Amino acid sequence: MALILTLFVAAPVVRAQEVSCELNSNESRVGEPVQLVVTLRGARGAEVPQTIPVDGLRINLAGRSTQFEMNNFKLSSTITYTYMVVPLFDGDFTIPPFEIRIDKKVVRTEAIRLSVHGGARAPSSPTLPPVPGLSNPQLPPSAGSRSANDRQPYFAELLLTKKKAFVGEIIPAELRFYFNARYGGQVGERPNFSGEGFTVQKFPNAEKREQVIDGESYVVFVFKTAVTPVKSGLLQIPAARLDARLQVPGNAPQGLSDFFNNFGGAIPPGMFSNTREVALETKPVQIEVSALPKDGRPDDFSGAVGKFTLEATVSPKKAAAGEPVTLRATVSGQGNLEAMGPPTLTGDEGWRSYPPTDKLQSVDATGFTGEKTFEFPIIARQDQTQTPGLSFSYFDPVAGKYATLTQAPLPVVAKAGSPAATATGSAAPQPAASATPPPVATPPDISTMAGGATNWSSLLFRKGFLAANAGVAILWLGLLVAFAVKAFAGSVAGRQMARRKKIKEMLGRARQAEPDVFYELAAGFVCARLGAEGDFFAATGRINASPLPDSLKASLLRVLERHEESKYAAGSAIRPAVDERNDVLAALAEFNSKYEK
Amino acid sequence: MKNNFSINGLLCRKSGVRSSLLLFLALAASLPSLHADALADARARFSDGEFDKAVKFYEQALETRDPSASVFYELGRTFSKTGNEARAALNFRRALVLDPRFVPAAKALRESNVALGIPPETPGWRATVLERLPMDALTIGGAAAFWLGAFVALFAVRARRRGRLAAGAVLVLAGVAALAVVWRCDPRISLRTEAMVLKNGGTQMLGTPADQSEKLAAMPEGSLVRILSQRGHWFYGRLPGGTHGWFLTEGIVPVIPPA
Repeated sequence: MALILTLFVAAPVVRAQEVSCELNSNESRVGEPVQLVVTLRGARGAEVPQTIPVDGLRINLAGRSTQFEMNNFKLSSTITYTYMVVPLFDGDFTIPPFEIRIDKKVVRTEAIRLSVHGGARAPSSPTLPPVPGLSNPQLPPSAGSRSANDRQPYFAELLLTKKKAFVGEIIPAELRFYFNARYGGQVGERPNFSGEGFTVQKFPNAEKREQVIDGESYVVFVFKTAVTPVKSGLLQIPAARLDARLQVPGNAPQGLSDFFNNFGGAIPPGMFSNTREVALETKPVQIEVSALPKDGRPDDFSGAVGKFTLEATVSPKKAAAGEPVTLRATVSGQGNLEAMGPPTLTGDEGWRSYPPTDKLQSVDATGFTGEKTFEFPIIARQDQTQTPGLSFSYFDPVAGKYATLTQAPLPVVAKAGSPAATATGSAAPQPAASATPPPVATPPDISTMAGGATNWSSLLFRKGFLAANAGVAILWLGLLVAFAVKAFAGSVAGRQMARRKKIKEMLGRARQAEPDVFYELAAGFVCARLGAEGDFFAATGRINASPLPDSLKASLLRVLERHEESKYAAGSAIRPAVDERNDVLAALAEFNSKYEK
Repeated sequence: MKNNFSINGLLCRKSGVRSSLLLFLALAASLPSLHADALADARARFSDGEFDKAVKFYEQALETRDPSASVFYELGRTFSKTGNEARAALNFRRALVLDPRFVPAAKALRESNVALGIPPETPGWRATVLERLPMDALTIGGAAAFWLGAFVALFAVRARRRGRLAAGAVLVLAGVAALAVVWRCDPRISLRTEAMVLKNGGTQMLGTPADQSEKLAAMPEGSLVRILSQRGHWFYGRLPGGTHGWFLTEGIVPVIPPA
C-alpha cells in the first residue's frame, strides 16, 4: 500500500554564478523519482558529475539539452542537465553541493534538503501500479547494469497473474510497451494478440504512463486484458505485437556541424531525426491449464469459474392473482461473469417460472470483477408465502474445488392466478415442435371460439359510425339553434327588435302609400312610434308631453287630425298635395330620429 | 359489307359485355364459396398433418375475407405445429386484437411466449376491462349515452327543468367516459403502432441508426416493440421497459396488418 509522504525541501532553488539548481517537486516517496535540474546560462559547455553519491538516494544524470537564443546578432545558449533522484529509503536527505566545471571556472551548487517518508519499496521495481494478483512481474530486459546508451529504445512485456490455471478461468493480464522518453513517435491503436487454445478480452484504450527504470525515463503504453484458456494442457501464449513509428536521432548534414562549431557550440540534440517503423513484441509465455475436475461437480454447475457471492431480492412483496413476481439474484465477485449461467431455482413446485434476463455490470475494463444480475419472472400456481430458493455452483480455482451458494426463500404474498392456471401445465419452456410433424393432428376446436370483430379499425374510426354521429350532431345543433331563436324572440330584447322592425316597415309603407291612405298610414306610424297603437287620444297626449320641438309637435298633431278628418269624411279621403306630403314625410323622419333620444 | 361488319362487331361487342358481366356475377357469387373452400382446405390439411400447406390455405383465406379471430387462431396453431413460435405468437396476438376475450388464443399466446422465452405480460386494468366489456358495444353505448344526455339536457334547458338537466349532464359524462375507456383499451387503437420481432435470433436495439452503434438492448424473437418513427430501413421505437432506440426494419412485423 502506497503511503502518503510528507516532504520538506529547505531550499528548492539554489543559485550559483551562472548556474541554477532545483528540484521539480518538493514531494516524493520511496521509489518515486524526482528530477534535479541544473541550468547553465551563457555557457557553451560544462563538465558535470554522472552520479551524485547520497546515502539513501540514487542520483544519476539522465540527459542534457541545449537551447540557443539569438539576440542582437549575439548568440547565447542555455544548457540544462537533468538528474533522476530516486529515494531508496524514507527519511530526511541532503543533496550535497557538487562542482560544475565551466571552461576553466568551477562553480558549486548549494545543498538541497529532501525529506522522504514511506514504506520501503524495491528501488529497481517499476513504478507502475501492480496488476491485481500479479505476484512476480517480469522486469524489463533493459533493467540491469547496462548504461543508458546501451539500453534498448523500446521493448515490451506480457504480465500474467498466474502461470497455472483451469479451463474457463479468467487470467487478468497486462501488455506493456515501453518507449524511451528521449524518442518521439506514434504507436498503433491496438496490439495484435491472439492464438489457439485461449480467448482474449477486447482491448480497452491504452493507458499512458511514465516510468523510470534505472534512471532512464520511459513512456509506457499499458493494455489491460484477460486471457481465458479453453482447453487443458500446456498452453503457449504467443507474442503480442504492437506496431510503432519512432523518431530516432540522426546525423546533421555535412557542413552544418561546422557552422555550429564556428560559434563554439554543438548541434542541439533532437534537431535531426529519422523515422523508423518498428514492431514491439512480447516474449511467448507458457501456461499450464488443467481441466475442471469431474469429481464433486454439482448438478447445477453452469460453468462459473472464480470466486463469487450470491444475494437475492424480490419485488413486489405482494402480488395479485396472476401477477408476476420478479426474483432478482445478484452474483458478485471475480471470475468469468460474462460466460456464467444463471442460478437455479429450488423449491419452485408451486411456481411457474420463466427463463431469466441478465445484466452484467463490471467494475474493470476486462469484465473480471463485477456483478451479474438475473431476474426470474415467476407466477404463483398456488397461493404462496415465500419465493423459491436459489442455488448457484461455481468452481473456485484457488481452492481447486467446487462450491455451492444457496439463498433461502424470501417472504412474499402471491395469490394463484386464473390466467396462469389456464396456461400451460409445465413451467419449463416447451421445445419447438418437430420439423416432421405427426401424420395426424387434432384440428382446432372451433366450437370454443368467439366471433370477435371483423375489422382492424376500431368502431370509433369507422365511416358509418362517424357519419351517424355527425347526423345526430347536426340534428342536435339544429334544435339548439331553433330553441335559441325562439327564446330570443320571446325576450324583451327580441320584442324591442321586432317593434323597431315593424315601425321601420310602417314608415316605409307610408312613403310608398297611395294618396288616399297616406294619412292613415302616417298616423299609424306616429301612434306605433309613440307606443300607442290605435289610440289617438293617448298619442296626442304623448306628443304634447314630449320634449320635441313645437313645430314638429304641430306637424304630428296635424297628421293625426288629417287622419281623423279622412276617417269621418264619408268616402272622400283627404289627399295631400305633393308639397304637403313631402313636409309630412320630413316631419315623420325627424320624429323617428329624435323621439326618445 | 362495311355496315354488316360494323353491325356484327357491335353485336359481338354487346355479346362480349354481356358474357363478361355474367362471368363477373358468377365470380362474385362464388367468392364466399372460394373463401369457404380455402378455409376448408386449410382445415383439411391441418387434420392431415400437412401444416405447411395448411398455412398457405389459411393465409389465402385471410387475404380474401374479412379478418377473423378464429382464422388467425387456427393459423397460429398451425405455425406452432411447424415450430415457428414467433409467427404463431403474432397470429395469436392478432386473434386477440380482434377478440380480446378469446380465451384459447390468450392461452396459446402464453404457451408461445414461454417457448420463445418472452416474460409474461403483467395483467393490468386494461386486461380486466377487456375481459368484461366488448369494445364495440361499449363504443355504441357510450355514443348513445352521450347523445341521449345531450338531447335531454337541451330540452331541459328549454323547459327550465334542472333535474332533467342534471340527468342529461350525467348521461353525457358517462358517454364520454365510456368512449375514453374504449380509446385507452381497444387493442385496435392501443396496438396500432406495436410490432413484433420475427427475425430469427432476434435483433438489437441500437443507440443510433448505424450498424456499429452502441447496443442498448436485445430484442428477442417474439418480443413486442412500439414503432415511433422510421428513417430509411431503420425504425425508432420503444421497448415495453421504456428503452428508446433504433433497430432495422428487417423482420419487424406490425401486429395490426397495414391496410
